[in-house]
Amino acid sequence: MAGPSGGNGQGFFTTRVDALLNWARSNSLMPMPMGLACCAIEMMGFAGPKYDSARFGSEAMRFSPRQADLMIVAGWCSYKMSHAIRRVWDQMGDPKWCVAMGACASTGGMHRCYGVVQGVDNFLPVDVYISGCPPRPESVLHALMDIQEKIRNEYSVVQDYEFGKARERAPIMPENTSKFPGQLEKPKATDLTLEAPDTAADDAEGSSSVEPVAA
Amino acid sequence: MSKPDDPRASDPQDPEELRFHFTPSDEPKPEQETDNPHAKGTTRVPEVIEALRDEFGAAVLDVERYANEDTVYVEKRRIREICRFLKEEENFDYFIDLGGIDNFSEEDRYEVFYNLVSTERQKRIRLKIRVDEEDMRVPSVVEVYRAANWNEREAYDMFGFTFVDHPDPRRMYMPEDFEYHPLRKEFPQLGVPGSLPLPPQTPDGELTMDPFAAAHGSKPVKSYEEPATDSE
Repeated sequence: MAGPSGGNGQGFFTTRVDALLNWARSNSLMPMPMGLACCAIEMMGFAGPKYDSARFGSEAMRFSPRQADLMIVAGWCSYKMSHAIRRVWDQMGDPKWCVAMGACASTGGMHRCYGVVQGVDNFLPVDVYISGCPPRPESVLHALMDIQEKIRNEYSVVQDYEFGKARERAPIMPENTSKFPGQLEKPKATDLTLEAPDTAADDAEGSSSVEPVAA
Repeated sequence: MSKPDDPRASDPQDPEELRFHFTPSDEPKPEQETDNPHAKGTTRVPEVIEALRDEFGAAVLDVERYANEDTVYVEKRRIREICRFLKEEENFDYFIDLGGIDNFSEEDRYEVFYNLVSTERQKRIRLKIRVDEEDMRVPSVVEVYRAANWNEREAYDMFGFTFVDHPDPRRMYMPEDFEYHPLRKEFPQLGVPGSLPLPPQTPDGELTMDPFAAAHGSKPVKSYEEPATDSE
């Protein structure tokens, strides 16, 4: 079933469960608002009624890291604060995603000085960066949609139950992602080249070279 | 908007002309001492300075007047008595600010300024003391003005003054084990590499000592590992 059943574990069953899981996960993201500066005001607009992130199922800001699965680092991060942020991030349960919101969180921005971390990606695995100082709430919505797109293309079942070789073989991005950075498109089935299965006839479809991806 | 008697208004015939009233850094011209349009006269307290001279004599080193504002340089050792005199005798009851200045000069490198306000007479006074690099001790005025507590901690943090008799001589902004004083002129703007550690890259890893770890190829991993992309 969901275990390592040859190939990369991407049988008919797992892809269907992936589709369901990813649909559920991507439409119920619970953001952890790590509001550090003026970007946090725009983040409030993002969650408020005008820009209405409830349309994307993530209107419920969770102030406890145990209940959140998306951290939005909004604002400049000092070296002193970075340890608290990392601790909050480590307390968030898997799976989790991270957004660096604004120029300061992404690169340090205008705070090119001794006390401000020059980009939170120095200590956090950032999934999506948002430009702007501060970004408009539309940009935050766009970042949220990018995260959703990323979640929908994940092989969640394999990732959840199988750490090891299989996860490295599971492609998440199409090749054109490198040509259009920032454009998270769904993988096209013909572009995917999966490795040959260890044991033949491991799934219902017989051939795994044109594997349908979870969508 | 453009009143003709407003010195900052541009000429109606030539609205593109910009007029600047810049502040020269060295010697003020004589007319600027009184005719500066920005000066309000609230920091002009000759009678208080006279009272200070009568009380403390040679401890009042010199008085500078620029843009109609008085700056009183006083002796470092007696700053606490002078503050107490100003508070109790001259009704300077409101402590506004205190901070350091680094002139980066050979002698008397640092200065500490004190801004006080008398709410009764609605006047300000600015005191300054000179601090040499050899002797960074400054008498604390927390005993007189309790509001000076955090300002003195900040000045200690940023410049390294030792405030004698301060009740809580900790740093204000930087971590306790930080070894430098960032507002000194010789401190590099981007900090000293390795002096401020970043958090570990993994939940149970070592602290990150490189402040530009990402630029040097470090990729923090999630405990939920992402699968490799096709392009790799």
